[in-house]
Amino acid sequence: MNKNYPIPENELQRLAALKRYNILDTLPDDAFDDATRLVSYICGVPIAHISFIDEDRQWFKSEIGVGVSEVPREISFCNYTILDTEIVEINDTHVNERFKDDPNVTGGFNVRFYAGVPLTTPDGYNIGTLCAVDHVVKELNDNQRNALSIIAKHVIAQLELGTKNNQLYTQRKIAERAVLARDSFLANMSHEIRTPLNAIIGFTDLLAQTELDDTQRDYIGSVQIAGENLLLIVNDILDLSKIESGNLTIETESFNLKKTLKHVYSLLKVKVQKEVEFNLFLDAELPDMVIGDQGRLNQILVNLIGNALKFTNEGEVTVSVKKIEETEDSYSFKFSIKDTGIGIPKDKLETIFERFTQGEESTTRTFGGTGLGLNIVKQLVELQKGEVHVKSTLNRGSEFFFTLSYKKSDTEETEVKTVSKNDLGHLKILLCEDNVLNQKLAKSVINNFGFDLDIAQNGEEGIELLSQKKYDLVLMDLQMPVKDGYQTTEYIRNEMNSNIPIIAMTAHSLVGEQERCYKVGMNAYVPKPFKQAILLKAIKTVMSLDNDTHHKRIIDMSFLDEMSGGDPQFKKEMIGLFIDKIPNQVTQLEEAFKKTDYDNVKKLAHNMKSSMDIFMLQDLSNCLSIIEEEASSGEFTAETLDKVNIFSCGIEEVVKILKEL
Amino acid sequence: MRIIVAEDNDILRKSLSFFLESKGFSIDQFSDGKEALEAIEKENYDLILTDINMPGVSGMEITQHVRENLKSDIPVIILTSSGVEQTELDSFDIGANEFIAKPVSPAVLLVRINKLLKTRI
Repeated sequence: MNKNYPIPENELQRLAALKRYNILDTLPDDAFDDATRLVSYICGVPIAHISFIDEDRQWFKSEIGVGVSEVPREISFCNYTILDTEIVEINDTHVNERFKDDPNVTGGFNVRFYAGVPLTTPDGYNIGTLCAVDHVVKELNDNQRNALSIIAKHVIAQLELGTKNNQLYTQRKIAERAVLARDSFLANMSHEIRTPLNAIIGFTDLLAQTELDDTQRDYIGSVQIAGENLLLIVNDILDLSKIESGNLTIETESFNLKKTLKHVYSLLKVKVQKEVEFNLFLDAELPDMVIGDQGRLNQILVNLIGNALKFTNEGEVTVSVKKIEETEDSYSFKFSIKDTGIGIPKDKLETIFERFTQGEESTTRTFGGTGLGLNIVKQLVELQKGEVHVKSTLNRGSEFFFTLSYKKSDTEETEVKTVSKNDLGHLKILLCEDNVLNQKLAKSVINNFGFDLDIAQNGEEGIELLSQKKYDLVLMDLQMPVKDGYQTTEYIRNEMNSNIPIIAMTAHSLVGEQERCYKVGMNAYVPKPFKQAILLKAIKTVMSLDNDTHHKRIIDMSFLDEMSGGDPQFKKEMIGLFIDKIPNQVTQLEEAFKKTDYDNVKKLAHNMKSSMDIFMLQDLSNCLSIIEEEASSGEFTAETLDKVNIFSCGIEEVVKILKEL
Repeated sequence: MRIIVAEDNDILRKSLSFFLESKGFSIDQFSDGKEALEAIEKENYDLILTDINMPGVSGMEITQHVRENLKSDIPVIILTSSGVEQTELDSFDIGANEFIAKPVSPAVLLVRINKLLKTRI
């Protein structure tokens, strides 16, 4: 193209400056349109515009009376304006040597009057123009010229602002990404730290159970304490990162407040030094059940009481809980932890809840701790919309108190059946875990419990073992190659239709992880590094859940009573008949089902139904109805298999109960 | 009063029999339809209580035989175990006097038996 227009000397840099604003081909913007309107009013012209000039065009960011969004650069008057630093004003183009023959003067836009101010960036590049144009001869006065220059400066300011906003936005994004990266770094690190810690604590526990001489026992004791402290620190850091990222959720579930308090008390009682009296005072009006986050209350109390006990060498530590308010649907409580310990200097009281702050610089050395505990307490209390305060006198003692509100609960606490180790018998357990150290640790622990353990390297292997052998329980690591714990559990529940208890074992401790575990159908959750007692408790819980459903079945004998007129001998005879006959029939039913022998399945189901009715086993009778119907229709589905299994299990339970009578 | 009970489920049959005996009836019980039928032909019963679905001869067949071949108007109570069977029977007059759906309520059964036996007297 024949470029018959002047090119600024700094054209390349000028273009680069223009590009930096990312303004070209953007959508209309009120701020620029207002500026254009202002130009038109002030100068009294029908045509006004704000435009930017790139390599080959003049692009109008905002215009009045132009009617196009861009024109080729060679026909633009503004080529000359961007060479200048001041306003360019041509009062009459017809008498201007440069423009009198311009197509936009003789025709086109019919430009007779032109006034243009260069848009100059703070670093001195003219990237565009602000113009006033008319079809008649005109001369601006000084005020109008001044106004044009001011508006031009505002346009540039507006551009700068947009750029700054963009930068801020980008920086915010970067910051957000950094927080995210830090959180996942912390979570990953905690995983990485916990895995070996798991092994250290676990093997130390095992070692402590072997024959040791006094020195060895002493060393092992120190390793155990150090391991546990390290775990506490890792947990603290993890908690803080969760709170900071807003990922810590407060549960709202029914729990027994009194029991929780007594539990914490008895837990910490073992740590009390001889010269210290440790008391728990509970308000007589304290309700049993409330709705809230039991785990977090536990954590707050353990932290504050733990501190009180740590810093008190003689005297007493008193925990008291009072109901301070009761509304129609909620309670407010005041929890106080008062000690006669070393106290906190006045000037430290205000910062005691801040991170990495302790009563004395030297406390860290004398008493240990991360300096995170109280900060976590404060954040946990505040997350539950409560307040925490402290009163203290140096060398006299401290009182930490906090208030929390809990919703009222009308649910009765479900008694968890406790099963002693022997009740569980000889469990066959399958462990899905890829880490060799953890495998080894789990194996010794499980064997110590007196159970059998098989190990699968990943979920895929676990599923294979499950389909080959009979297990009572699965311990499931979450992070595994090939098939992870979630996928494996989903497969076991949905594809294998198995309700075998599954306990998640994980070092992740990620937010929502526990929920996810329950969601895919796991029955319990044990964080790694696991403690033997906690693992055993989880095993007992899931196994007793299983037992609970057995014992939940109460056989209603009222029908049989009515029939027998209460004759115990006859009742006994009928029960005996049930025990003798039904299990055989169930076996027959299962066999007929396997052979898809519709006729026999139908007959057996039909026949057994009357027996179910007599013992008022409505659910089992319904199972049989469905089985009978499916057999009649000559087609078995997955549901039939389900019902046959449920029925078979149900009979097993019932027979067991009847035998015990 | 003599009642014959035909039901293939042992527990139910024994319970029903025990219950009715405790109410003063004399009971003969059978788990097989064919044997029940033979007994009906031989003995003199006051009422037949039969399950609809039995191996050998069904309750429906027993009723038909009693009405058509033996020309007897002995009261017959048929025990049914599902709604489907009930409707089938309702629309199909085979000459039974009562249908009772399982699970059988002893009290209801007793009322029905007494009603049928009184009507007959």
